[in-house]
Parts: sequence; C-alpha cells; structure tokens
Amino acid sequence: MEEQTKKPQPVFIHPIEQAFARILDFYGVTWEYEPRTFPLAWDQEGNVIEAFKPDFYLPEQNLYVELTTLRPKLTLRKNRKLKKIKELYPDINIKLFKRRELRNMMLRFGMAAEAEQIFGTDAQEKQERD
Amino acid sequence: MGAISRPGPENEMAGDIQQVFVSTEVLQKRVGELGRAISVDYQGKNPILVGALKGVFFFMADLLRAITIPVEVDFIAISSYSAEARDRGVVRVTKDLDLPVTGRHVIFVEDVVDTGLTLNYLVNSLRARQPASLEVCVLFNKVTRRLIDVPVRYKGFDLPDYFVVGYGLDHHERYRNLPYVGILKPEVLFNTRH
Repeated sequence: MEEQTKKPQPVFIHPIEQAFARILDFYGVTWEYEPRTFPLAWDQEGNVIEAFKPDFYLPEQNLYVELTTLRPKLTLRKNRKLKKIKELYPDINIKLFKRRELRNMMLRFGMAAEAEQIFGTDAQEKQERD
Repeated sequence: MGAISRPGPENEMAGDIQQVFVSTEVLQKRVGELGRAISVDYQGKNPILVGALKGVFFFMADLLRAITIPVEVDFIAISSYSAEARDRGVVRVTKDLDLPVTGRHVIFVEDVVDTGLTLNYLVNSLRARQPASLEVCVLFNKVTRRLIDVPVRYKGFDLPDYFVVGYGLDHHERYRNLPYVGILKPEVLFNTRH
C-alpha cells in the first residue's frame, strides 16, 4: 500500500475549499491554494484597487479554479470579476464552480452530510470571500 | 423492450423522480448508434471493452449487444471517494482486470464523466499497461464540472448539471435499476436515511 505523502495544509477560508482539496488529494491531482493574485483595477498612481485571487491552481492542468457557495442572485460581483480577469488575462484558464455544481459534486462523491452542512444555511454563505 | 418497466405506479422508485430526463427509448437508440460506430471502427481488431464498476454495467450490457464484431470484456473497480475512504488515503484499484491488455486495442467504457478525476485516473492506469490503442466511450458527459480533460471518442449524451439517477447511476446505491435517466426530487437528494 502506498503511503500518502502528508503535506502541510493551508488554512482554508471556507469548508468547501477543504472538501475540494481532499477530493483532489484522493485522486492524486496536484493543487496549489490561492497561489496568485490578479490585479484587476488601478488608481491614477498605479496602485491596485481591485484584485482577484482564485481559490486553486492545478498546475498539471494549467487551470485556476474558483469555488462559490453563494446563491446565484448573490454572485453578480464574482461574475463581474471573472469576466474582467478573462479580459485582462486572456491566456489563463479559469473555471468557476457554482453552488449547485459543487453541491452535486459532493453528493456524487458520497458527501451528503458535508454538503448539507455547507449548503444548508444562508448564514454559512456569508463566510465566503469573493 | 416490452419487458422493461416504465415510470408509473408499478415502479416504486418513480415517486422519487421529478422528471424523466432521458427515456428508455432514447437511451437504447443512442447506445445502438454507439455500438454500430464501434463495430465499424474496430473491424478486425478484436478490441477489449473495459468498464469501471459499478455504474457502467447497464450501459456495458446494452453496448455489447449492439456491437456486431468479436469483442472481449473486462471490468475494473476503484475505491470511490467518501468520508471513510478519504481517511484511508488515496484512490486504489479494488478489482483489477482479469485480461492482459498490453498490445491490445482497448475501449474504456464509462457511464458518466463529470470532473474527469475518476476517468483520468483509470485511463492513466490503463495507458501504463501499454495497450496498442486506448479510446474512451462515455454515455453521459457533464461538461460543466470538468476539471481534467480526457479525450472522449464515443459520447452518448451531454447532460446539464442536474443530479440524475437511473440506468446505472445511483444515489446512495439506489435507483441504478431505473430503466431511464431521471432527475431526483430535491427532497430526496439530502435524505441520508436510506
């Protein structure tokens, strides 16, 4: 039996991020947590006034992944940032996993109880950072 | 297909289904088309069809019967992700192939691909055994959740991101034996007291 190499775990902002990282670990997919910040807007002095830091980067897939547990009506700001990042950095690949997609993914991976904890209350949604 | 049950009062699981998404008739028609395509492409190649248990067995059975050339079949199984499995470490093969595939033409048959995590693991495992060729045949393709792209040569249906069951797809191991693919009612999805 191959021993899993234990790597230091980052402090995840939201429980869905930890669940997602565990799934990636299980299938042996290399990931990095919030490795890069993308400036999106600058003031007249050139200071960054808006930025976006995707949750995960999968180096073997060259893919950034952003997770959101927000209800669709609350994702306008995040959607706007994603649109902007694609305009300013057209060469990067980024994928947004939305609330229903994440919930269904967890259910498909047999994580009904965890899914209910994460998606069960509106209060938990407010812990998310965009 | 007169012997196959249909949604209705006679099927006890039908009450949990919000909507039939792919009917038995549409499923059978598409599986037949896939079988005919494979029969043409693999003429004289005696391919091995490899399926990943458990969800694939309905599709595999119908696909095999739609193929008109000689083929062999085998199955592989891996540990699925769960709260218990994650504590035991990484994914592992729980039932390996019985047939050697080195130098053979292999068609990997899968019921559904969404994230691509499972498919990627299994395709890599098969590729390491050095088959003469390796192609993928998937019945249901959920592109919205794709993390890892694995080329799919034969594809049945693109599915939106609904939680669907039936024709091999399960929820807590139930509903695999529905002869169609249906969307589960929301109140059933989170009911863990099966």
